[in-house]
Amino acid sequence: MFSSSQFDASNAFSGGGFMPSQPPQSADYPSSTARSRDSQGLVPVTVKMISEASHSGDDKSNFMINGLEITNVTLVGLVYNKEERASDVNFTLDDGTGRVVCKRWASEVFDTREMEAIQPVTNFDEVTCHYIECIYFHLQNSKSQVQGFPSSQPQMVDSSLNTSARTGLSGYQTAPTNLSSQFGVDGLKDCDQMILDYLQQPSSSERERGVHVNELSEQLKIPQKKIMDSIASLENEGLIYSTIDEFHYKFARG
Amino acid sequence: MDTSNPAVFVNGGLMRMYVGRRIRTVIQVIQSDGGGVTGKSTDGHQLVVKGPQPGFPLTTFVEVIGIADTDRSIRAEIWNNFGNTFDTQSYNQLCQLANGEFKHLFI
Repeated sequence: MFSSSQFDASNAFSGGGFMPSQPPQSADYPSSTARSRDSQGLVPVTVKMISEASHSGDDKSNFMINGLEITNVTLVGLVYNKEERASDVNFTLDDGTGRVVCKRWASEVFDTREMEAIQPVTNFDEVTCHYIECIYFHLQNSKSQVQGFPSSQPQMVDSSLNTSARTGLSGYQTAPTNLSSQFGVDGLKDCDQMILDYLQQPSSSERERGVHVNELSEQLKIPQKKIMDSIASLENEGLIYSTIDEFHYKFARG
Repeated sequence: MDTSNPAVFVNGGLMRMYVGRRIRTVIQVIQSDGGGVTGKSTDGHQLVVKGPQPGFPLTTFVEVIGIADTDRSIRAEIWNNFGNTFDTQSYNQLCQLANGEFKHLFI
């Protein structure tokens, strides 16, 4: 944990180590903005997720991910190209999904969140944990009517991992222990449901490459155009995923 | 923001899907010599990592970011020491998720 008096930027950044970073939403905003930061807490994201975030609000000043307004995010990655100036420190963060430029304002007045904004990673299970939490956030907030997520899915993150990952971080939202979001399937169209049923059959799910859309069309006696429309919708909702190409799909399961 | 050159999370078994592409993986170092570093992937495959080795000694677990030359060898660009203890099972599951239904969050 670093406090403002102990934070040594040159040591923290030297060697290009892994660092979780909380980038300001806009480079022009000083750290003492009065905007409420507490609406979503700290949201774990990847640079890819940020790059696909949409803008909202009348002045397009807010970011939205999965339909939620996001203010504070947390990223984990490698620090490059540090530039230290009197008023701020600029650096590039590469988290493996992309690179983003970050700016950390130097100020006499820090609140506790700013002091703990950038920390070097010492326990590298934090890296795994961060990306799993990105997946969890996405799952928790994606707009979908999910057909019974298997409760075994989140238990890959065992309790020892959660404990060690939280040691060095504060203000972190609670790590997931159970993802049992059970939604009704009434909203799924018949065609979607037929495709899901077909993909869940052992003969389909055992195939590494999944099922080709042509096979779905032939077996279900549904026109290919309608199949492709359903596929797009199901994939968007995270119920299926493509494998070797955009014509082969598998049912998404834990 | 630049997402044009991602490094895909892989284990040994997933490398064949990304030969020639930029990947990242964590290995447990078995042997290190002039020919490269031999390590065990989180799903138990033996991988060889070639390329200029870092100037610092490697810990037991190392993250390698580089290009997959074959389905069992990597040409390393970046080496990161991940310490002497690491949860390989969780990392392995992350690789599967990041290449399956949640691929769109990563690449």
